[in-house]
Amino acid sequence: MGNRATTDIRDITRIAVFAAILAVLGIPAAIPVFGGAVPITAQTLGVMLAGAILGSWRGAAAVAVFEVLVLVGLPLLSGGRGGIAVFAGPSVGYLIGWIVGAFVIGVIARAGNRPPTWWRTMLGCFVGGIVIVYAIGIPFQSLITGLPLAKTALFSAVFVPGDIVKVVVATIVTLALWRAYPRAFDRGARAAVDLRVAPHEPVVQAERAAAPE
Amino acid sequence: MIGLYQPGTSLLHRTPAGVKVLVFAALTLAIALTAGGVWTLPAAGCLTAALYLLAGLGIRPLLRQLCAARWIVLVMLVTQVIFLPVLVALTNTGRVLIVIVLAALITLTTRIPALLDATERALAPFRRFGVNPAAIGLLLALTITAIPVIGGFATAIREAQRARGAPVRLQTFVVPLLVMSLKHSDELADALTARGIE
Repeated sequence: MGNRATTDIRDITRIAVFAAILAVLGIPAAIPVFGGAVPITAQTLGVMLAGAILGSWRGAAAVAVFEVLVLVGLPLLSGGRGGIAVFAGPSVGYLIGWIVGAFVIGVIARAGNRPPTWWRTMLGCFVGGIVIVYAIGIPFQSLITGLPLAKTALFSAVFVPGDIVKVVVATIVTLALWRAYPRAFDRGARAAVDLRVAPHEPVVQAERAAAPE
Repeated sequence: MIGLYQPGTSLLHRTPAGVKVLVFAALTLAIALTAGGVWTLPAAGCLTAALYLLAGLGIRPLLRQLCAARWIVLVMLVTQVIFLPVLVALTNTGRVLIVIVLAALITLTTRIPALLDATERALAPFRRFGVNPAAIGLLLALTITAIPVIGGFATAIREAQRARGAPVRLQTFVVPLLVMSLKHSDELADALTARGIE
């Protein structure tokens, strides 16, 4: 688990860059999925990736930073939405759920800072990205719209199939990134220490090899 | 990037961001608590329209905000009419619509830096839980500057794939975007460290 007391500059830039990725994923037609056949708000995918790649608290921080920028009025949510109005509407619970969800994804997918495995990532994205998000989003929606809880849940279920596709996509992307750029998964503090104590790359690999599965 | 702020010199523009948010919260609570009353929604609607006029924004931005909320209104009406009496469905939808349009007024009359400052001040009490307000300020500023950079990466990847005639698929788009972005993040960290920020 990340030690949150030692915030490293590398953590700060990772969080900032991932928050920016979430913003870019909200740009219309940024990501065509399966030839555009499946309508997907790529920002939920970004939330899953934030937790799975950055880990629990950095992933949650990236989502929170993104949402603060939306709150202060940057039109960054998909469809160019932004401002305090978004947080006064029925979807505020889902936005809160994104932050908690990213944290939970990190806890499950990156427990003990281990390399990602497909089943761990998929379980994390499912629990954090779907169960948690809906568990927080639906009660808020019900409270704000005045529609009873069970009926709100019934209508929200329409989006579950799309979210399951996102879980699969997030898992594929996370494992592809692990092969393409494993450094992305390094804990910030350790990466910074490596920078100071050369030679660093073999040390990381040795640590990784020695790490108990 | 275009924010939602509309310049002006009205009373609403001059009121501090924190005050506006608190007044908005109080109004929202009042509307929620008295939503059953016959006069609540018409009164709240008139108040909202009056505030838009007071802010010197006129009717056009108000209509634009109403238009922006059309999907929320549509989805709410359709789902509510199925299960609830028509009058209740209309009241619920009207209440949510008024609160959303009222909230948009804060965004329309407050500059983004003023709201960022207010956010930072609101987070100050969390200092005892290890939240460093200065780090948060740096974080927000870094993110705002990173958005055009990452957006540029996205454009470059799409253009490269189009030039090769490669079909644009999710994996061939997101993975390079993540690699480029996270490399950029490490370079950014090195640059900041070199300038004595740790």
